[in-house]
Amino acid sequence: MILSSALFFILGCSPVHKQMQPSTADITLLQKFKPAFAVALYNTTVDVAGNHLSGLLLIKKMPDSSTRMVFSNEMGFSFFDFEFAADGSFKVYSIIKKMNKKSVIKTLRHNFELILMNNLDNSKAIIKTDSGQLYFIFPQNKGYNYYITNSDGTELVRMERASDKKIIVEAIMQNYINGIPDTIGISHKTFEFNIGLKRIER
Amino acid sequence: MNKLILTILILTAGFVSNAQYAGYNPVADLAKFKTAFAAATQKTTSIKSDFTQEKNLSLLSEKIVSKGNFWFKKDSRVRMEYTTPFKYLMILNKDKVYVKDGAKETKVSTKSNKMFQQINKIMIDCMQGTMLDNTDFKTRVFENKSAALIELTPVTKGMKELFKSINVVVDKKDYAVLSIEMLEISGDNTIMRFTNKELNASIPDNLFDIK
Repeated sequence: MILSSALFFILGCSPVHKQMQPSTADITLLQKFKPAFAVALYNTTVDVAGNHLSGLLLIKKMPDSSTRMVFSNEMGFSFFDFEFAADGSFKVYSIIKKMNKKSVIKTLRHNFELILMNNLDNSKAIIKTDSGQLYFIFPQNKGYNYYITNSDGTELVRMERASDKKIIVEAIMQNYINGIPDTIGISHKTFEFNIGLKRIER
Repeated sequence: MNKLILTILILTAGFVSNAQYAGYNPVADLAKFKTAFAAATQKTTSIKSDFTQEKNLSLLSEKIVSKGNFWFKKDSRVRMEYTTPFKYLMILNKDKVYVKDGAKETKVSTKSNKMFQQINKIMIDCMQGTMLDNTDFKTRVFENKSAALIELTPVTKGMKELFKSINVVVDKKDYAVLSIEMLEISGDNTIMRFTNKELNASIPDNLFDIK
């Protein structure tokens, strides 16, 4: 499986994006899109399998360089508190019983890791181009994270998490102000699960 | 000597675990308090107020402060409108809940949504003064010269999973709620303080309409 995946990339024929060609673009172009969260609060909506809920997501960079994410409802009741450590490890500080399922935590972890852009190993990155867009591809333990920019790498068009066969998640980060995106969207392609974040000025 | 220190520490820990609240003493005559509380809340038909909510994230050293307006009208109707730094509207009307976040409107029956059912019950109990009868909680009451603190400790499994305790402070002058503090299992807490209260103000019924 690993070999076949590697071959797909070497030959420029990712099963997800079949028409890509190799690019000589500079990998460091991507760095400026990594969100510089010091502390940010987002109005949050979650639509999952016909259910809608809203709340507030607080994202804070901690002194030990880890990133904490706390999601609560508007009345203050916390749903979860996650830590994304600088070394790539992950910790659940708290989560309500209803959400405390391995699959839910894993999905949320991967979603947020895609937008945090932590631990992207440039030495393993593959850069391709297709239809006037640059594809910065980072192999993960399972699948790939794609960061797709315009042709000169000045605008982040979208992000994707994909398996060998299909796109699983699409995400956007837009309207950066002082390095922090004002709008973040996460949309699952295999089932109805969408997260929308809009930054709140405090 | 070490044994003595240990004994003192154990005794001190015992005191801490049974700690009362700074500035408050246990209510001497609970029956009298309950009667006065029930009589006062009986007279309150409506409450109009502003509120400030502060969520304290202890491990993150962060506070999330929000503000808004609050209306209560007997029986069992509450309207909470967060105005800053975000817009959020929640109307509780008997067993129905209406929520508007951004452009999205949601209507829920508390019969089908346990969390809203619990929020509804706590909020209505606090306003109608019936929290001392709520069997989901064990209650302790403390007081000082001007206020009473009602500590609600969950006894039911569902509530225990959500809260460590809920502390409601009422003004002894009119027994109206001054603040509601929700202490979570994680150590975080949220306190909602009510200001600019008007008791028995005329509040139009349609403020609580859920269409």
